[in-house]
Amino acid sequence: MAKLVFENVTVQYPIYNSRSVSLRNRLVRLSTGGRIEAEAGQVSLVTALKDVSFTLKDGDTVGLVGHNGAGKSTLLRTMAGIYAPTSGRVLREGRLATVLEIGAGMDTELTGYENIVRMGLMMGMTSAEVRAATPEIESFTDLGDFLQLPVRTYSSGMVMRLMFAVATSIKPEILLVDEMFGTGDAAFQEKAKARMLALIGAARIFVFASHAPTLINEFCQRVFRLEHGVVEEVTSLPEENLGLSIGEGV
Amino acid sequence: MPPGYSDIIASLRQSRLAFHFALSDTRARYRRSVLGPFWLALGTAVGVVGMGLLWSELLKVDRATFIPSLTAGLIVWQMLAACITEGTAVFTRQANVIRNLQLPYFLHPMQLVLRNLVNLAHNLLVFVVVAIVLAVPASWSTLLVIPGLVLTVLNLLWMALMLGMLGARFRDVEYALGAVMPLLFVISPVLFRPDYLPFGSTIIWMNPLSHLIDVIRSPLLGVSPPLFVYYTVGGMLLVGWALTLALFNSRRNRIAFWV
Repeated sequence: MAKLVFENVTVQYPIYNSRSVSLRNRLVRLSTGGRIEAEAGQVSLVTALKDVSFTLKDGDTVGLVGHNGAGKSTLLRTMAGIYAPTSGRVLREGRLATVLEIGAGMDTELTGYENIVRMGLMMGMTSAEVRAATPEIESFTDLGDFLQLPVRTYSSGMVMRLMFAVATSIKPEILLVDEMFGTGDAAFQEKAKARMLALIGAARIFVFASHAPTLINEFCQRVFRLEHGVVEEVTSLPEENLGLSIGEGV
Repeated sequence: MPPGYSDIIASLRQSRLAFHFALSDTRARYRRSVLGPFWLALGTAVGVVGMGLLWSELLKVDRATFIPSLTAGLIVWQMLAACITEGTAVFTRQANVIRNLQLPYFLHPMQLVLRNLVNLAHNLLVFVVVAIVLAVPASWSTLLVIPGLVLTVLNLLWMALMLGMLGARFRDVEYALGAVMPLLFVISPVLFRPDYLPFGSTIIWMNPLSHLIDVIRSPLLGVSPPLFVYYTVGGMLLVGWALTLALFNSRRNRIAFWV
């Protein structure tokens, strides 16, 4: 039984410009008695999510839409427990997998096979589970002999296939996918779709951020629209509401 | 539970991950070389021979006592220096893991220290060869190498965690430490023993790293380290961990935004 509950979650994070990350400016600030503080210590506080509450349970498929910088990735990371909320509570039950940034956590010097082990272990599988899942990942990615080559020789579409295959092979109860899902070619999109639907069918939570209305409509029953860190659930998804990059699938 | 404690507990629970990655990182680094990690040992051996011959002449000391002491000091120094300088970047280098996967953070310093222990194991071969060739005496004190290693590793763990946080927040830390390390090397007992110095050994013992080196090096040479070395190393362990835990508890949740 998977569950993902947000109770009045606010996430604020500091943005450090090169000046505030530098120790020299800290020291200068000390020695000048804070006189140039306004210039030296510019840590801007960004409120990425503002008072967000919702409840997701088994079988919920959610599409996240919003402009660039609306907070989609921050919301996904907060759902995943990567970002801790500044205030409010996140309650998460169930095995989690994320596909957020292409190539995240992979070691490009290692071969595809070695990265399957690496990613699998990082996502919480045991070595035995990884071994058992490898044949199926092999066939899903269709990468064939490329799996014996270092990942640095892969195209981004190939890296995507591998990441998606590993992330879904851990049989996640909660799967969070960021927008780069569209990188693969048409054949991969079809396979990924079938695999997604199978996962969703097994009563899991699926959250997917995208600018592509077709993908959202296909996968998701609920749609959350983010604007300036505020989440609003919308019922219908007229295409013009999506704003940027319609149909690009990036 | 404060976030720092739960992070460390989670990291210890998943320590097999740290072991796995420490080994696979070493393998990946020497992927396309014939000798693999033994290049490291070979580099150490070349350094020891060159420096040993030159410095034993310059310092006018007996080679048979100088070279083993240099070798032991150098391999321990390499571990300390690597953990400390790489420690400042331990979180920033792993930014793409930290920002995408939910793994406890202390895993990264653990992995760093383990990887350098693997390197030390390779370098230890050089010392063993030197010790056999130059007939370094073994005694009951040699066994003290084990508690020495444990104390040093526990100290390196807090150092890497603390420096990792500081280095993620203040990017200058990495370069500042890089600039200071050669100085710390010169005032450590690697190239000479404290008792060789004409002006007394105080300055050497002012360097905290000297104590971490000696607690391993002296036993390797078959001598017990002086008692005050154990006091310093134990004191560093307690104070260091207390400060690091306080910082980790209060800032742990910020690390994802820093990297």
